[in-house]
Amino acid sequence: MCYFDFMNIALAQIAPHLGNLKKNWDLHLETIAKARKAKADLLVFPELSLTGYKLRDLVESVAQDADRAPRFKELKALSRDLALVVGFIEERGNEKGIFFNSAAFLAKGRILHIHRKVFLPTFGMFEEGRFWAAGNHFGTFNAPFGPAGLMICRDFLHLNAGYLLFAGGAETMITISAAPGRGLAGEKGFGSSRMWELMGESLSFFTTSAQIYCNRVGMEDGMAFAGGSFVFSPRGKLLAQAPYFEEALLLAELDPADVRKARKTWPWKRDDKPEVTLTSLQRTLLRHED
Amino acid sequence: MKINGPFAVRILTEFIRGELSKFGFRKSVLGLSGGLDSSVCAALAARALGPKNVLGLLLPYGESFDADRDDAGAVAAWLGIRTKTIDIAPMVDAYFERCPTQSRVQRGNKMARERMSILYDFSAREHALILGTSNKTELLIGYGTIHGDMACAINPLGDLYKTQVRQLADYLEVPEGVRLKRPTAGLWAGQTDEDELGLTYAELDEILLHLVDERESREELLARGFEAKKIDRVAALIRNSEFKRQLPPIAKLSSRTVGHDFLYPYDWDK
Repeated sequence: MCYFDFMNIALAQIAPHLGNLKKNWDLHLETIAKARKAKADLLVFPELSLTGYKLRDLVESVAQDADRAPRFKELKALSRDLALVVGFIEERGNEKGIFFNSAAFLAKGRILHIHRKVFLPTFGMFEEGRFWAAGNHFGTFNAPFGPAGLMICRDFLHLNAGYLLFAGGAETMITISAAPGRGLAGEKGFGSSRMWELMGESLSFFTTSAQIYCNRVGMEDGMAFAGGSFVFSPRGKLLAQAPYFEEALLLAELDPADVRKARKTWPWKRDDKPEVTLTSLQRTLLRHED
Repeated sequence: MKINGPFAVRILTEFIRGELSKFGFRKSVLGLSGGLDSSVCAALAARALGPKNVLGLLLPYGESFDADRDDAGAVAAWLGIRTKTIDIAPMVDAYFERCPTQSRVQRGNKMARERMSILYDFSAREHALILGTSNKTELLIGYGTIHGDMACAINPLGDLYKTQVRQLADYLEVPEGVRLKRPTAGLWAGQTDEDELGLTYAELDEILLHLVDERESREELLARGFEAKKIDRVAALIRNSEFKRQLPPIAKLSSRTVGHDFLYPYDWDK
């Protein structure tokens, strides 16, 4: 099942340039070279790594079709010996004028999966729903290191997203993020970082799957991205964490045998009852319609 | 580009009347330069509030631009609004005696901010809100002095291109002298906007209309026959002046931050 004894993961806690595809491309190449040097098997970039986050009306000028864009062709080539997760604005040739906040997983020279962010924060300081469309699916796929699933930022904070990937068989969940920090009352970093760490720890333990969370840093229009990227083992152990609000290439070693150990010890997966979830949800929805 | 003049006037007079009354004002004050924008704005205000409730400030620098001052006076007489003339030369000269400069742009900006400072003072003296006169063309290309002529309480002209302000001027029958002369920011003698920009307002507004309102790409504008050099120049002017169209950024630290997630309507509780 597993191709690796250990999987070396690299998280690119970078500060993308807002709306500048060229500069971000160079930043990706530079980071890929570093990750390669560090013998990484998987390199994860943050949400909208190729474009920057607070795009507003710049969205249309940075949108790409992963099947046609020349840079994705290059990314595919670069993924032959290093699996990559990148964030971008997606606009497909057959869906003109509809933009998605998407994550692509590339490995062995191919795009293995694209996830479109489902939960778009549109409240307070967030205005994603004004500028792009929402995805409608949480799917798993076969990564070189086993079944995996992708989430983007806010997706991660919705319990059903992690559950659906768990039900779909994911042993590794990768979340790419552009989470701004807020609240200075805590002892270190932003108060809001705790929320992500709490979910990372909980999901890793209760889904017995590895949780890889890559957040960005830097500032856009006064919004400070918190960093603090992390990796939790399938047994809820924090394997590595990047500093807050500081660029970093975080390296972590994941033992693929850990999932097996975790699921032997805590059989949440074996005992899960997706059919109960489904029928209960159907009943709930029917009740809603009454 | 063509607009329905009577309907636009109906909306804009209601806007002026409504915004002022929400904030408890009946009177407005504005700078009258003798140019097209301030004349149209004054005409709208006179219709919305009645001529007696509009104060036009003529704020010349010394004896320069005498012809413009005459035009401003003619507009005020035509509308029957009150005016007051204050020469800004003593204040501006006093400053530049202490901090001399050769830059006529710096001098022009200082004058624009001196006028702003007087307008705000008269806003308080007269309990009158300041009407802005920056049109859409100027706002988009950043052709204005930040915290100078761009400063105001409400801006009735902000979504009208210069070409459209001209249409309104025709509809409102603004005195012909004002309508026929070449637009100038009045930063120095002999200056005209079109010479300084290297584009006529007709060209500029057409490019803006396609780029901004129609959301067309550079390629689409080229296909329409616009020159690459001009499209790129206009696009760069727009890109480089965003700071003039927004409040300055605030670094977000807390869980509720002005401008980020402390968001209330301008007309809050009005």
